[in-house]
Amino acid sequence: MELTKTVSGVTLRSQLRILLVEDERKVAKALQDGLEAESYSIAVAHTGEEGFLRVTSEPFDLAVLDVMLPGRSGIEMLSAMRSQGIKIPVLLLTAKDTLADRVLGLDAGADDYLVKPFAFPELSARIRALLRRGRSESISALQVDDLRMDLVGHTVTRGARRLELTAKEFELLEYLLRHQGHVVSREMLARDVWKVAGRYSPLDNVIDVHMGRLRRKVDNGLSRKLIQTVRGVGFVIKSGTSQ
Amino acid sequence: MKLRPLNVRARLTLWYLAVLAAALLIYGASTSLFLVFQLRNQLDHRAIEDLETIKGLLSFTSDGKLLFHSNYQDQSYPTKMLDPLIEVLAPDGTLLYRNELLGTRSLGGSLQPGDTSGSYTMRSIRLSDGMLVRLVSRQYILEGRPRLIRLGLSEESLWQRFREVIVGLLLGLPIVLVFAGVGGYFLARHALSPIGRMARRVHEINAERLNARLDIEHPHDELGFLGSAFNETLARLERSFEQLRRFTADASHELRTPLTAIRSVGEVGLQKSGAAEDYREVIASMLEESARLTRLVDSLLTIARADSGQIQLEKTTVPLVPLVRDVTSLLDVLAEEKGQKVSVAGDDTIQVQGDGAILRQVLTNLLDNAIKYSYSGSHISLRVSRFGDEAVAIEVEDDGPGIPPEHRDKVFDRFYRIDKGRSRDTGGAGLGLAIAKWGAEAHGGHLRLFCPNGTGCTFRLILPQSRATDGQHSSATMTPPSESAQQHTSVATLKASSPIN
Repeated sequence: MELTKTVSGVTLRSQLRILLVEDERKVAKALQDGLEAESYSIAVAHTGEEGFLRVTSEPFDLAVLDVMLPGRSGIEMLSAMRSQGIKIPVLLLTAKDTLADRVLGLDAGADDYLVKPFAFPELSARIRALLRRGRSESISALQVDDLRMDLVGHTVTRGARRLELTAKEFELLEYLLRHQGHVVSREMLARDVWKVAGRYSPLDNVIDVHMGRLRRKVDNGLSRKLIQTVRGVGFVIKSGTSQ
Repeated sequence: MKLRPLNVRARLTLWYLAVLAAALLIYGASTSLFLVFQLRNQLDHRAIEDLETIKGLLSFTSDGKLLFHSNYQDQSYPTKMLDPLIEVLAPDGTLLYRNELLGTRSLGGSLQPGDTSGSYTMRSIRLSDGMLVRLVSRQYILEGRPRLIRLGLSEESLWQRFREVIVGLLLGLPIVLVFAGVGGYFLARHALSPIGRMARRVHEINAERLNARLDIEHPHDELGFLGSAFNETLARLERSFEQLRRFTADASHELRTPLTAIRSVGEVGLQKSGAAEDYREVIASMLEESARLTRLVDSLLTIARADSGQIQLEKTTVPLVPLVRDVTSLLDVLAEEKGQKVSVAGDDTIQVQGDGAILRQVLTNLLDNAIKYSYSGSHISLRVSRFGDEAVAIEVEDDGPGIPPEHRDKVFDRFYRIDKGRSRDTGGAGLGLAIAKWGAEAHGGHLRLFCPNGTGCTFRLILPQSRATDGQHSSATMTPPSESAQQHTSVATLKASSPIN
């Protein structure tokens, strides 16, 4: 099946196959549905053994492994995969976020690491980043609808109107545009835009204030709103719908 | 076969017996040696007396033959039980006389170097038949001719006495030791019996009965010290258990609140068959609650890890004013929204050794707190200054309504909110100041609250400057909220000087 889809400005031919190894069936089903909605082809395994069997017998573009699995753990499965010469990118999911666990996972050959509970947009963004890895990407401008960001000249225009943004607002808008069409969570913004680790900080309010100001500058007085709040999840910038 | 380890009183008794036996053996040996020495002294005395007597009984015939007055035995001389052995020699070693008792046995053999000195010489010898003899000899001039007279007294009776004494001592020793052992065992048992009682009492103490204490009979002896040390440990344990209990209760309450919200929103949402938009609303609301739950669990995890000393400080040189400016610029938008002004003042050169991320968290929480509780349009000021010779102070002063005195001690407690009814959206979970306090103490410093005139409050964060340079890594323990800051400082410092890795 041949399919063409635009993901963050990168065109991917053919449907990408992802192996998801997760023993919690509810979580596995939710992730499968969510990723399939983003046009990936998903194979689900519920144990490390089953996952290893599939990854050694079928071609995959990426694997998402839960660390805490019954029987063979995600890290053991990963080590076995790496020693078999399977080099696909691997994203580990775990409930632990101590430094030692992270180091253990990365040592075993993981490419990225996501701590439960995570927001789905975060997982989706990490998967996109891993699949994009290695492809150099030099974009000079980002655009959605009539909103255009010139990365070289550091200017933003909506239609013919030039927007005056603060440095933080510019960064925020750039991040949204790089993930256009995908929801970004507050955690992603805190980590990637504000470079602050930890979710217990009062940063959520700060993000909301900045987002409110940015939105006023981008969308105020226009019928087509580009920046939208997805309640309980985060924010998304996409081609405007009249409201 | 391996011996079973003995209990303390048996071991004490055995040690006691071993020491006692050794002491008795040394005592007995020295006593016997002293006895031998004394008896030999007496023997020497008598030998000299006898020698003088015998010298008087010797005479020469006209042809030079030595004559011994045979009526010697009838003399008033105190013969006692010892008969002397006598030998008289010429200076060239020729035997001139040997008494009957000696018979054919030689008394001392050929001449010895000291024999002709003219003074008494003593030595112990063994005769050819094995008899031990104390020998005294002296050279006399008898009727113009030098003659060496040797006199021997048997040492047999002396050694006999010695053997008797030794046998007596050796026979007595086991009896003494048996008595001493039994006595020692009972003494040890008696002395150790309070330990047994303490142990039984301790066995009865468990998590539910931590208020129990040991009875201390004599507070100033060793066991009294042990008992009071144990009681103090129990008291500390009881306090931390109480804190843990309260923390668990508070935490489950806080966790239950968003869970209840998720559940009821979900249940109600399912009941009404509405449009997709309604469901969207329900799901969004549930997601918001689950986000709150996530943040709460993260905070609890941080606190739990801090409590168990798992958080390692990664210390570097942190310039404080830039850090304060950083935090201020991060949160400035929140103040702007409320029309508040935030100012930063201080010496740019002030720096500390600390974990930048944790200090940033501490300051973020303090400033966020100040912004949240200050009036709109008010002024918040942050000041960095030196505090004494070895510390720096960072003060966060707000223009808020102040904190009523009855709440001031508790604002650092976990989950503590002054306004219980305050919505969790603005009030947070009540962990910000608890985490800030922990961060201060992890650096060997402390966090204090001052509310001088009832309006506006100042949080003063004190960080030590010199101590923190000890190690690059250190771990710190979140200390219980009720103890004094002074104690916390020492705990954190102690930890800081012993890196764990």
